[in-house]
Amino acid sequence: MILLSALVLGLLAGWGWAGWHKRPYRAPDLRHLWLAAASFVPQIVIFYLPATRAMTPQWLAAGALMISLIGFLVFAWLNRGVTGMPVLLGGLLLNLIVMAANGGWMPISPETASHLADGSAIAHVSPGSRIGQKDVLLLPEQTRLGFLADRFLLPGWFQYAVAFSLGDILVALGAFWLLAGSSIGGQNETE
Amino acid sequence: MNKTLAEVVLLSRRLNRQHLQVIFAVIALAMLVVGVGAPSDGGGAGRSMMGMLHHHIK
Repeated sequence: MILLSALVLGLLAGWGWAGWHKRPYRAPDLRHLWLAAASFVPQIVIFYLPATRAMTPQWLAAGALMISLIGFLVFAWLNRGVTGMPVLLGGLLLNLIVMAANGGWMPISPETASHLADGSAIAHVSPGSRIGQKDVLLLPEQTRLGFLADRFLLPGWFQYAVAFSLGDILVALGAFWLLAGSSIGGQNETE
Repeated sequence: MNKTLAEVVLLSRRLNRQHLQVIFAVIALAMLVVGVGAPSDGGGAGRSMMGMLHHHIK
C-alpha cells in the first residue's frame, strides 16, 4: 500500500509538471513489459490466490519468491537507462540480498512487529514464524544483515502502521522518480 | 474535408497510443513495486495484525 502511494504521487507529480508546462504527460519508456508481468505470476500464485496459497509449502513459496525477484531484477536491469530505475534497482537488490540471506523471507524483529500489532499477540508467535506476506519473525541475533530488514516505522501520529526496509525506501523513491521524472526529463530534452 | 478527417483519425490514434503507453507503464510499475517491496503492513488504527499471523515456517 505504501509503495503504491509512491507510484500515485509520482504520477500526480508528473502530470502536474506536464500540465504546468502545457505539455502531454510522458510515460517512462519501459521495455520488456511482459517480463514484469511474468515475474509477478509466481507471487500471485503463492500470495493472492487462496487455493494455491494454502496448498503451497513454505519452501516452495520461498523459492518461487526468489525466482520472482530475480525476474524483476532482470526487468529492472534491462530498463536501467530509464530515469529513476537505478534507484529502484538498488532497492530491489538490497531486499533480494537480505531475503536470500534469511531463508527467502524479509526478517522483522519482535520489537518492530509489536508496533504493528498488539504486543501480546506477537508474544505468542514463535521466532521463525511467517507473518504477513513476505516477512518472517526473527530475533535480532538470528537475523543476517539486520540493517537491511524491515526495521523502520512511520511516525506515531500516522494512522497507518507499517514497517519497511532500506530497500523499500529506495524502491518507493525510484518508483516516484520513474513516473515523475519521465515527464520532467521530457521537458528538459526540448529546452 | 478528407484531409481534416484523416488528421483527426491520426490524432486519435496517437492519443490512444500515448494513453495505452501510460496505462501499461503504470501497471508494470505497480507489479514491480508490489513484487519487489517487502513492507510489513499492520493496517490502519485499530486493525489487528493477528489475521496476518497465519503462516508458519516451523
